[in-house]
Amino acid sequence: MPQFRRFGTRLLLLIAGVVAAAQVADYLLVVRANRRNAIDRIHENLAKGAALFSRRVDARLLELSGRAALMSDDYSIRQLFLKDQPDPATVRSALRSYSVRMGVPFMTLISTEGARIGDTGGPLPEAALRPFEDLVQTAAAADDPKATAFARLPSTSEDGKVFALLVVPIYAPKPEIVAWIGLALPIDHRFAEELKSDAQVEVTFYYGTGETMVPVESTLPGAAGPRSAADLAESAVKTANVSGEPYVTAYRPLLPLVTHGRAAIALQRSLGAELAPSLPLERFLLVLLIASLVAAALVAAVLARNMSRPLRSLADHTRVIAGGDYLTRLEVTRADEIGQLATAFNQMSEGLAERDRVRDLLDKNVSPEVAAQLMRDGGALGGEEREVTVLFVDLRSFTRLSESLPPRDVLHLLNRYFDRMSSIVETQHGIVDKYIGDAIMAIFGAPVARDDHADCAIRAALGMPSALAGLNTELATEGRQTLSFGIGINTSRIIAGNIGSSRRLNYSVVGDGVNVAARLQDLTRMSQFRADILVSASTLTSAKRRYRVRDLGAAPVRGRDEPVGIFAVDGEE
Amino acid sequence: MTRALVATLGLVLALRVSASGTVRVLAKDPKGAPVADAVAFVEALDAPAPVHPPADPVAIVQKDQEFVPYVTPIVVGTRVSFPNKDTVQHHVYSVSPAKKFEIPLYIGESSATILFDRPGPVTLGCNIHDWMVAYVYVLATPYFAKTGADGVADIAGLPPGRYTLELWHPRLAARVDRQITIEASGDTVQEVSVTLRPDRRIRRAPESDGAGYR
Repeated sequence: MPQFRRFGTRLLLLIAGVVAAAQVADYLLVVRANRRNAIDRIHENLAKGAALFSRRVDARLLELSGRAALMSDDYSIRQLFLKDQPDPATVRSALRSYSVRMGVPFMTLISTEGARIGDTGGPLPEAALRPFEDLVQTAAAADDPKATAFARLPSTSEDGKVFALLVVPIYAPKPEIVAWIGLALPIDHRFAEELKSDAQVEVTFYYGTGETMVPVESTLPGAAGPRSAADLAESAVKTANVSGEPYVTAYRPLLPLVTHGRAAIALQRSLGAELAPSLPLERFLLVLLIASLVAAALVAAVLARNMSRPLRSLADHTRVIAGGDYLTRLEVTRADEIGQLATAFNQMSEGLAERDRVRDLLDKNVSPEVAAQLMRDGGALGGEEREVTVLFVDLRSFTRLSESLPPRDVLHLLNRYFDRMSSIVETQHGIVDKYIGDAIMAIFGAPVARDDHADCAIRAALGMPSALAGLNTELATEGRQTLSFGIGINTSRIIAGNIGSSRRLNYSVVGDGVNVAARLQDLTRMSQFRADILVSASTLTSAKRRYRVRDLGAAPVRGRDEPVGIFAVDGEE
Repeated sequence: MTRALVATLGLVLALRVSASGTVRVLAKDPKGAPVADAVAFVEALDAPAPVHPPADPVAIVQKDQEFVPYVTPIVVGTRVSFPNKDTVQHHVYSVSPAKKFEIPLYIGESSATILFDRPGPVTLGCNIHDWMVAYVYVLATPYFAKTGADGVADIAGLPPGRYTLELWHPRLAARVDRQITIEASGDTVQEVSVTLRPDRRIRRAPESDGAGYR
């Protein structure tokens, strides 16, 4: 099954497909039912026609046998037999007279031995008599001495016609049979036309002696062709085209047949004519089919649009969110599942914006590296021991300065100063651990471990005086008092990690080395050192680069047994 | 019962011893029922016996619109009269090969007598009444008799010798004959089985019915 990219296409195909399948099935079922009904009706008509044919033939023969019985009891016919040798001319004229009375074209008189006594002559020559003689044999053996059969007369001629034959006895008196009367009832065109008008079916009489049977009479002129004898051997119903039009045909053999060959009656009815009344319904159904298909397509298109438009706007909105815009909101105009989805999207946007804000605040309250680590580790308590470099920078004489300024201005001044210093720390891959009053404590080598943490710290320290000079220039311009500071740097193994309670914690470092750095910063105030930047020997040992330093000897540090080697840093080599 | 026993055993019994013999014919149908109105006759094989027709005509009466008797055996040369004892006219005829004749409508004693001069069966009918039928069987032998209701016919006065015994009936399905020998010592009984065709005579409806005839 092909995968359609568009939901609308799929919905359209689904709805149109279902409607089309139902309608087409409906249409086909109706057409089939109509056709079956028509064929059933035709079968019924044909069966009625066949029954009517048999009844008509039987009734006519019964009527004729009644008339023949009257004739056989007639005094005058007995007169013919009072003579030893009846006069042939008299017999013929008498029979002609009787045939007119009975309305049959041919009559013959046959002796009890089966010999012809006389006949009416006319349409049937002497050669036509043989079937009557055969029939006399049948009749004589019958309980009720009478026999009927179909025959083609004359059977030897190509243009012979099919007749229904009847032989009845002449009694003198009953039950003594002295002779037989033979009658021939033509199954001809007139018979076919009468049957057609009564049964509403086309009628064809077939006769054949070989493999094929040819129509002898037909109400379908020129339409009925030869048929194979096997087709007409038994009663059958077939549908075949006659002159390009389908006809249902019922074949019935004419039995018994006393002449050589086969005779059959074919009753036909046009399938098209029978179907004609149901054609308007079929056409209407076809129009309905197309109309409902179009309607289904339209409904499907509208439905698909209603479905896919909000889905597409949701998809677009997802891209907006993915782009980082958590402030744009979807317009919720509906209460259904799609509306609920849009609401959920908006709630998600809100959640994301909230998280973003928290992250932003986190970034501002802790250094970005710590914030990243907190986001990653989830702020679990605990720490690790590692070598870091701690830098302390503290403003000198700031307490006195702050007393001469309003608090707001103090804070403003501090923030300007912190901003510049912090910027340098971050540039050198360090983090501002905390602001302690007017002091900054910065860490290099945590939380992200670096090999050059000592170099980073020294470089940051070296960068800070010029940054402060810049700030002082601004302050001077503003007519304010300028600032000065001292920097202490120490490298040692300390514990780094989240320190605090489970409700509130800070990323920080603890250890003796932190105090050493603070102590070095304190020492910058001492007149014997006269340096803004003091580093410990361990920092210089850890540094990979070389710096211009002055060895200031060793100084005792509180809490330490051994004094710490102190160096002033003037710049890079 | 006795007759059945006789039939079963097929006994030929000598009843009487004289110069001439008598043949008693027992005509039965295949079911054993006696067959009436059968003409039994014998023809001498050794020396043909001359026939002597009676001087007076034999009468076949029309009474109550029926022929009486139904079957009349006569010898060749016999004259038959057809007295009409009904109040309606009759028109007697025959178209049988042995005798073709007609006596046009008449009532009472017909003056005409018909001479039957050829042997063979003759069927009589009436042109007015379809149901009337009778048979005359014309014989070329003086030895004959007609079976009664008991199916018995006695043919008497037969000199000893060989004969052909034959039976005829209006509805005989097939010829029935056999050769018999008359001994000087006695009479014989011949049981003959006769197969008859169905009786197809027109049955006469009662006059009062007025429904006609079937």
